[in-house]
This record gives sequence, structure tokens and C-alpha cells, in this order.
Amino acid sequence: MSDYIEDFKTWAEEMIESATSERPSWDIESCSLEPLCNIFVTTKEVVVTADLPYTEPKTVRVEAIGKDLIEIEAKMKRKVNFDDFGITHRKGEFSSFLCQTRIPVPIKPEQMKTSFKHGILEIRLPRKKGYEIKVE
Amino acid sequence: MNKSKQRKQTMSQPVRIIEKKPIPTEALMLHGLPDVGLVGLIATSYIISELDLDEIAYVDSDLLPPVVVLHEGLPHAPLRIYGGKNIIAAISEMAIPAAAIHPVMRKLTDWAQSKKVKMVLSIGGMPLENRQDIKEPKVFCAASNRDLLDMLDKKGLNILKEGYMVGPQALTMRYCAERKLSAIVLLAQSFYNYPDPEAAAVAINELAKITELKIDVSKLLEKGEEIRLRARDIMKRTQRELTQMKKSREYDLPLYV
Repeated sequence: MSDYIEDFKTWAEEMIESATSERPSWDIESCSLEPLCNIFVTTKEVVVTADLPYTEPKTVRVEAIGKDLIEIEAKMKRKVNFDDFGITHRKGEFSSFLCQTRIPVPIKPEQMKTSFKHGILEIRLPRKKGYEIKVE
Repeated sequence: MNKSKQRKQTMSQPVRIIEKKPIPTEALMLHGLPDVGLVGLIATSYIISELDLDEIAYVDSDLLPPVVVLHEGLPHAPLRIYGGKNIIAAISEMAIPAAAIHPVMRKLTDWAQSKKVKMVLSIGGMPLENRQDIKEPKVFCAASNRDLLDMLDKKGLNILKEGYMVGPQALTMRYCAERKLSAIVLLAQSFYNYPDPEAAAVAINELAKITELKIDVSKLLEKGEEIRLRARDIMKRTQRELTQMKKSREYDLPLYV
């Protein structure tokens, strides 16, 4: 139980940090852009989506890292650089989308299902069931 | 002006509209402010560019973040008003903070009334969970008075009959109804937190049914992926503000006994 509370605290702190941190949506080192992501938790599954414009569906890679982290990577059809956005005071080129998303509830990553429609990646992860309590 | 006078003016007028050029009177006013899927912003920006409208005014307020947008090296206010050809269009290149949305929308409505705007037309998105499965999003609309609603119904538009509306469009409706100013809200089914140029195109097509505005959306659809790529940052910041405004209330079922 105390492990669970500790894990929850760590997750809550990370969520607060990621929500409040002011970091750019691009990373020059890995030549990647951070895609927009969304997590939706239902009673049976966790649905993660990511907006991946300019992406070749075949290049999309989804990997479960550990028990609660999903990494999404996708190559872009063409490289984009700051000049394409009219920005001349920075230099850098981007060829992929890359992000890691923490899943807030226990899941079964081995049963993950993915689809890609209209440039939107959808990942469905069944939730791990707890133990049943009999109603008397 | 001395500092105390300036402070007094700022306190009495939390939001100011600074006019740069003559403002058309009896015009149609479009609102394209950042919201769900950035539908209104994308649609209105496209209309401004297609009609080649001029920047005629901007919104200034201490309630807005200290931001200026540089275009071709020159500074512009993020919340700007364009005009020409009997059209006025307000857009914002910055997410409007939840704390500023009331005074900003109130000022825009008062200003529209003072310019004898014929009608305010606010474009926005309506979040749809399975949006990626929908090819042609539907557009729903609401109006500030019964006559307008009947007109929309007669023209075959989908009417939003019951439910909550949250954000800039909600205040446009409320303040325009209070001031007896005609207003229509067009909401296209869209992604919640992904920029949705296709939904913006559908909303522009719907505009043609109720106004003289006939805009070809083919260029907008061609540039769809580029817009989605460019709009990621403003979408992210808009999503944070929408959370503050409790946008999720739009999913709630209304109680009216």
C-alpha cells in the first residue's frame, strides 16, 4: 500500500511539473518535435492519442517502457527547420516526432492495440483488473 | 499623461481597443478566438487572408500576458482586429487567459455595438471523442434571438437545442443577447486539443449559407498538415486555458425541469 501511495505521489509530482514547466516543443539534439498528446482513461482501458501530421504511417513506433511509460516516435515525410516557420534567429532541423507519456493507472502493455487515421495515432491499452470484492 | 492618470484609466478600462484605421460601420463581425481545435482561429485567419483584410485595431489590456508578435520584423498585438469589405474580424494569436476572457469579450461586444455591427458571428469547435473516424464534421449553431434561430432553422442548419457552452462563444452569446445585438455561433465538430483545419473548412462552408461570404477552402485543406504542425504550441496553451475555464462542462447534461 505504501509503495502504491509513493508511486502515486511521484506520478502526481511529475504531472504537476510537466504541466507547469515551460520547455520548448522541440529538441535540437534529437532533431525531434514533441507531438500533441492526449490520455483518456475509461473503466476498461486507457486511450492515448497523438497528432502526427506529415508522418508516414509505416514509420510510427510505439514502445512500452516499464509498466507505466509509453514512448511514441514517428519519422516525418520531410525534414522541417526553423526557417520553415519564418524563424531566422535559431538554427535546427527536425525529422521526427518523439514523446514519452506516463500512464496514470496500471495497464497491460502486452495487449496494446494501435491504429493510425487522418494523421492521428490511437493506442488502446487494457487496464489491469484489481481483485473483486464480493457484495454481501 | 501622468502616471496616476494612466493608472486610473487602466483601472476603469481594463480592456482597451486601439483603432489604427477607419472602422467599417454596419459590418458583419467575425470572432475567431482560440478554442477547441483552434477551429475559429484557423477559419477566421484564412478568411482574413483570402479577403486580404487590413489590420484596423488591436486589443490592449494589463490582463493579457506581456506578449508581442513579430511579423516581418514588426510588432503586432496578439489580439487584433482586421477589417474591409464590410467585414470586421477579431483573432488572437495567443491563448486568452481564462481570467481575462470576461472583460475581453465584454469589450469586444461593446465596441461592436458602438460600431453599429449588423451581426456578430463567432466560429468555434465542438469536441467529438471519435473525431478521427468522422470524414465530414457536422456544424451546429446557436443564435442570440428567436428570429435568428428561426432563420437558421429555415436554412437547414443544425440547431444546438440544449446543453452548455463554455468559453469565448458562450460570452459572445450572453453579452450580445443582453445588448440586443444579433449574434450567431457556429460550432464545427472537431478534435478537442488538436488543431483541426478540416473542421475550420466545414465551418467556412456553412458560413456561406447564412452570409454573403463565399470562400474557397481548397487552399486551407491543402495546407492542413502544415497548419497542424505550426499550431501545436498555441493549441497546447489554449488547452491549459480551456481547462481553467472548465470547458469539460460542455459534456454535462443540463438540468431544466
